[in-house]
Amino acid sequence: MPPASKRSTAARPRRPTPIFQDLMRHRVQHILLVSSLYDSFILTEDGQVNEALMRQFSDQNLSQNPDLIRVSSGAEALAVAGEDGRFDMIITSIQLGDMNAAELARRVEEAGLDIPVVLLAYNNRELTEFLNRHGRGGIDRVFLWQGDVRILLAMVKDQEDRRNVRWDTGRMGVPAILVVEDNIRFYSSFLPVIYTELMHHSYRLISEGLNIPQKILRMRARPKILLCETFETAWSYFRKHEENILGILSDFEFPREGRLDRRAGVELVSRIHKVRPDIPTVMQSSIPENEAVAAGLNASFLLKGSPVLLHRLRELLVEQFGFGDFVFRMPDGTEIDRARDLRSLVEKLRTVPAETLAYHGERNHFSMWLKARTEFTLAEKLRPRKVSDFPTLEDLRQDLIRSISAYRLARDRTVVADFDRDTYDASSSITRIGAGSLGGKARGLAFVNRLLLETDVASRFPGIRISVPPAVVVGTDIFDQFLDENHLGDFALSSTSEEEIEARFAAASFPEQALRDLDAFLQRARHPLAVRSSGLLEDSPSQPLAGIYRTVMVHNRGSEEQRLAALVAAVKRVYASTFSRQAKAFLGMTPFRLEEEKMAVILQKIVGMHHGSRFYPSFSGVARSHNFYPIAPMKASDGIAAVALGLGRAVVAGDACLRFCPRYPRHVPAFSDIDGFLKNSQREFFALDLSAQAPRYGEEGAELTRLGLAVAEADGTLAALGSTYSPEDHTISDGIARPGVRLVSFAPMLKHGVFPLAQLLDLLLEIGCQGTGTDVEIEFAVNLSVPSGESPEFGFLQMRPLALTGEMEALEIGDLPDRSLLCRSRSVLGHGKLTDLRDLVVVDSNRFDRLRSLEVAEQVARINVSLQGQGIPYVLIGVGRWGSMDRHLGIPVTWNQIAGARVIVESGFKDLWVTPSQGTHFFQNLTSLNVGYFTVNPQAGEGLIDWDWLAARPALEDTGFVRHIRLDEPVTVMMSGKTGEGVILKPQT
Amino acid sequence: MHPYVTSLMENVKAKNPAEPEFHQAVQEVAESLAVVLDRHPEYRSRKILERIIEPERLIMFRVPWVDDKGEVQVNRGFRIEMNSAIGPYKGGLRFHPSVTLGILKFLAFEQVFKNSLTSLPMGGGKGGSDFDPKGKSDDEVMRFCQSFMTELFRHIGPNTDVPAGDIGVGGREIGFLFGQYKRLANEFTGVLTGKGLNWGGSLIRPEATGYGSVYFAAEMLATRKQTLEGKRCLVSGSGNVAQYTVEKLLDLGARVLTLSDSGGYIYDEQGFTREKLSFVMDLKNVRRGRIKEYTDKYKSAVYTSLDPAMGYNPLWNHKADCAFPSATQNEINAKDAQNLLKNGVYAVSEGANMPTTLDGVSVFLENKVLYGPGKAANAGGVSVSGLEMAQNSMRYNWTREEVDNRLRLIMKNIHKACVEASERFGTPGNYVNGANIAGFLKVADAMMDQGIV
Repeated sequence: MPPASKRSTAARPRRPTPIFQDLMRHRVQHILLVSSLYDSFILTEDGQVNEALMRQFSDQNLSQNPDLIRVSSGAEALAVAGEDGRFDMIITSIQLGDMNAAELARRVEEAGLDIPVVLLAYNNRELTEFLNRHGRGGIDRVFLWQGDVRILLAMVKDQEDRRNVRWDTGRMGVPAILVVEDNIRFYSSFLPVIYTELMHHSYRLISEGLNIPQKILRMRARPKILLCETFETAWSYFRKHEENILGILSDFEFPREGRLDRRAGVELVSRIHKVRPDIPTVMQSSIPENEAVAAGLNASFLLKGSPVLLHRLRELLVEQFGFGDFVFRMPDGTEIDRARDLRSLVEKLRTVPAETLAYHGERNHFSMWLKARTEFTLAEKLRPRKVSDFPTLEDLRQDLIRSISAYRLARDRTVVADFDRDTYDASSSITRIGAGSLGGKARGLAFVNRLLLETDVASRFPGIRISVPPAVVVGTDIFDQFLDENHLGDFALSSTSEEEIEARFAAASFPEQALRDLDAFLQRARHPLAVRSSGLLEDSPSQPLAGIYRTVMVHNRGSEEQRLAALVAAVKRVYASTFSRQAKAFLGMTPFRLEEEKMAVILQKIVGMHHGSRFYPSFSGVARSHNFYPIAPMKASDGIAAVALGLGRAVVAGDACLRFCPRYPRHVPAFSDIDGFLKNSQREFFALDLSAQAPRYGEEGAELTRLGLAVAEADGTLAALGSTYSPEDHTISDGIARPGVRLVSFAPMLKHGVFPLAQLLDLLLEIGCQGTGTDVEIEFAVNLSVPSGESPEFGFLQMRPLALTGEMEALEIGDLPDRSLLCRSRSVLGHGKLTDLRDLVVVDSNRFDRLRSLEVAEQVARINVSLQGQGIPYVLIGVGRWGSMDRHLGIPVTWNQIAGARVIVESGFKDLWVTPSQGTHFFQNLTSLNVGYFTVNPQAGEGLIDWDWLAARPALEDTGFVRHIRLDEPVTVMMSGKTGEGVILKPQT
Repeated sequence: MHPYVTSLMENVKAKNPAEPEFHQAVQEVAESLAVVLDRHPEYRSRKILERIIEPERLIMFRVPWVDDKGEVQVNRGFRIEMNSAIGPYKGGLRFHPSVTLGILKFLAFEQVFKNSLTSLPMGGGKGGSDFDPKGKSDDEVMRFCQSFMTELFRHIGPNTDVPAGDIGVGGREIGFLFGQYKRLANEFTGVLTGKGLNWGGSLIRPEATGYGSVYFAAEMLATRKQTLEGKRCLVSGSGNVAQYTVEKLLDLGARVLTLSDSGGYIYDEQGFTREKLSFVMDLKNVRRGRIKEYTDKYKSAVYTSLDPAMGYNPLWNHKADCAFPSATQNEINAKDAQNLLKNGVYAVSEGANMPTTLDGVSVFLENKVLYGPGKAANAGGVSVSGLEMAQNSMRYNWTREEVDNRLRLIMKNIHKACVEASERFGTPGNYVNGANIAGFLKVADAMMDQGIV
């Protein structure tokens, strides 16, 4: 991109020579963030926060960065903004608990506060509903969070550029780029990219700069972005600054004269070209045919929705630039070394010449550099120290090293530290290999780490080690590098063969530096490892991709070469799962593009103990702060936990496990029914098989072994969780002291205080809810089999917000006669009214054969593919538990096999009650996509389903077990997320 | 309807409004006994039926208790002391929200005849509460049981009324109830049955129903001078009843060919052995696996999945001599009954509760199949309660063999009573009529002997 100076020609009136103080007069320095702690964490605690923020803001001024003050309610925001007049911008979420964003904007205005209110939404559906209902009102600009922390940059820059354009561009001639786009999701996605590229571009100029003021000048003189959402705004900007418009990036269709105009883009570009025919123009559209139209206007073309959109955009806008090092110089300005980050800064500080230290010290370069990286505390600490305060320059050197090291140590406890081959300690909490983001899951873990420390949970449970198991995160940059170096990106996006993707990934070479880091990591980490996905989009509050990507376990045994090979293979498998059919299907349902997804990988110590050729924790589980199926005296808000002996696969896969309410550990419903408990309690558990070979494609879970309880008893792991059934007395007694049939009941723990599981979970759920401002789900594993003298270990594996949005507004179902109903349930997930469903896919209760449930799943999948392909949503009705891994308990579909269903009904078998599969990944995904979920057990008087009516409808297709019915008129589905009630009404005819 | 029954029912409905279950039970008994009452007017004149439907005593009481949160809860307790003509009241306690006086009266009424049929000295009763143990902590259940017994203890005793467990009252509840009784009465007596094995319970409880149904079958075959030795037997189910049916059949030399669960059944032409049975017991009791897995281990067996659309159960469509439905209700319909006949089956002994539909029963009766209805053939379970009482009274515990021998004698007696009653009232070989009448006669005769009380 041509620098600003090229745009000023001699023919035009001479402008004043810019000096940096004149530029960027309006800067966003103080931001009031109104959101839950979790929302703010997403913004500020992405693994790369320090570097990311530094990159984002370093163009402004090496010593000035915006600070973020967070409050959690509208009222608090108004109070803080009113008292403290320094805020330049308010960033708000849609719902604030006490008010929504529209009301906040209105009240800010009413209070006479001249602060723009910018909305940052986390969920497209929620945003659309909000805008439909409230309009923009006083909201200055709306953005949509899409997993990219750089959106903060875009929001701030957008604000600043608009405020400064009049002076900077109008008076000082700083160039500007017109971006015309009214689609919030699109501009939220590409504005950060454009700004980032501009930052890189500008930053490159620093090293060319001669002195600090010049550097600053160049940084501040970077081109401005003028985002316009209407024809009129764009034209008005152009008319005002036509000389300085560097280029145009325009949509085809956007509002003109108050109405959406398909030709607005063409008109605008044509009109501008009449004035400035040479202006570089890029036009974008989701219609491929428009490429020709763009060509006709002498404009480049970008296809919206293209998997390589951002890549193309980047190509079109700028070249690659380096960024970010601390440049050590001799007093004469000669560069002698560079430091990329704090770690290398400390390293270089040990060796650079003393005069260099003096040079930078005297000029406060260290504190300025640190401040640019948002290391405010350290910067503030170093700033007052003068070189003259130290007897010798060596004392200055030691003080700097000490201060920075101590700071890093303290910071690394709560934030993610960089992996250091030489100093890595396998017991330290979370470190990162490579740059880029940590991804959603790892970010969540870092957040948990911070919560655990801040709330000091450990002191409330002395004698238990409560922590996030040590983990190393391979950052998303390594993923990018892996794809780039092996040219796998486009192939993986377009290939439909998972097997081929996995094979090519397996054969591809792993980035050299990262490989050496992994090798160094394995030198110290000799325990079994869980290799877990951590996608950018994973576990975001509105779009949890829970369980979509792969987790691979490696036993980490054998020669060094074997261990490294197995680990790298596992990482590649996780990478490959980014492009699985399931992931593609899931993302297809969301506003995101797969190209936007980037994969970080967590290498985490598996909590557990060796027992012969097996490795497993005493137990694992999932706890949720909201229970959709509470039984008195429990309330929905009391939460629910599901636990199982051994590895957590049993819990997430919906196998037999024990459910209890952490607030009522002694009120376990399952204990009341001996026959039911015998039938449904866990009899087998999962362990890592230490003798297993690395699994090949299609061998999901081959590294695991399924074992009976006799093994657990012999290993000593059953004692704390077991009970005993006596056939003679037909009773179940707590513990395993007596002879009889062993069961997993957790009774010694829940009733006899062997381990304070319930109390701990209750506290963690509470802390999680407070921290995120929403209901959460946590995953954990506990190891009680520790050597004598050591404390039991509670490993906090994951926390994610439960997607419960949209369940707050009341929906009256009323009294409806049974004959008008196809289905009624009091156990419904989902909320809202649907009136557009005519297609029913029905697994006939009379024909269903539990032993052939795999065939049933296949038949359902086939119909799903056809309907999804045609874009027809449908109601899926079946018997047993949907998505059950035990094919005897239901229909073992995977998520993508039913991804097109809008409403799902599960009914009990004639001889078996369906217990809803709480807390499974399957459920999590369904609820996040707002798929309605009805559970009925008519044989037990819980709800109804009119099988006879269904049987009397003619089938459009009948595959043996499954009937596809297309009704002439749609059914009406009503679901109340608040009361958990729902009905499906037959068509009115 | 018999005019006597009609007038009786009018009276019952007037005196016991809103108790439909009780009305129905009385009507069924009265109708099945019409022939007895016609032939023996003395029962009518002494108003045996009118008296037998009126509980000797109804006890209804308040059960206050404190839950774990310290809140006071109030439930209602009941004990129906229905009939003590042949022994102390005997019958279960039920803790379930659906419990009402009407339901308990109906259950107590049926219990009188069930107990009588066992030939043991046990009257009939029933009790319980609308307390729901589901979702309660052990301590809450204990406090409830203690409060319940604090009132009940003055009405029961080893020679007065001996409650047992029922829905919602298992070993845990019996333990809490017994502990409180012992504390209040200051005596260790057999006031409850279903106690733990090491504090007064009896052996052979899990086995009793299965063993009993085999003993009953053996008695039926003996009427045709046959034994179970070498007989081809079809057994359905794979729970306690089925497992111990197979065990006893193997003891008696029979050849057992099938077992099933809700998914399907296995057919092992070579017949089950003790080793195979032990595999099934481990599979179902410890591993809780599916019966299909049997075929993984024993290749001689064939697994067939059940298809509800077929309209019949193929398990009953194999060549055999005897059938032991031991799984669930309504598992033999008319078509299945026909298939059994076609395949040569001539003896059916019901280990399950009401496994044969009414149509199916008609097929058996019309074709003179030796058909042992559940109320007689599976009375082994009830009988062991009586044996527990006996052992408690003696302050002595019998060995497994001793209990088993007595069980065999009891089943023999039940069979004999059924045969005699059916012959005496003109339907020889009809064990259904025999069981109904025999249960009644024993109680009626005792009441006649004891005067108007």
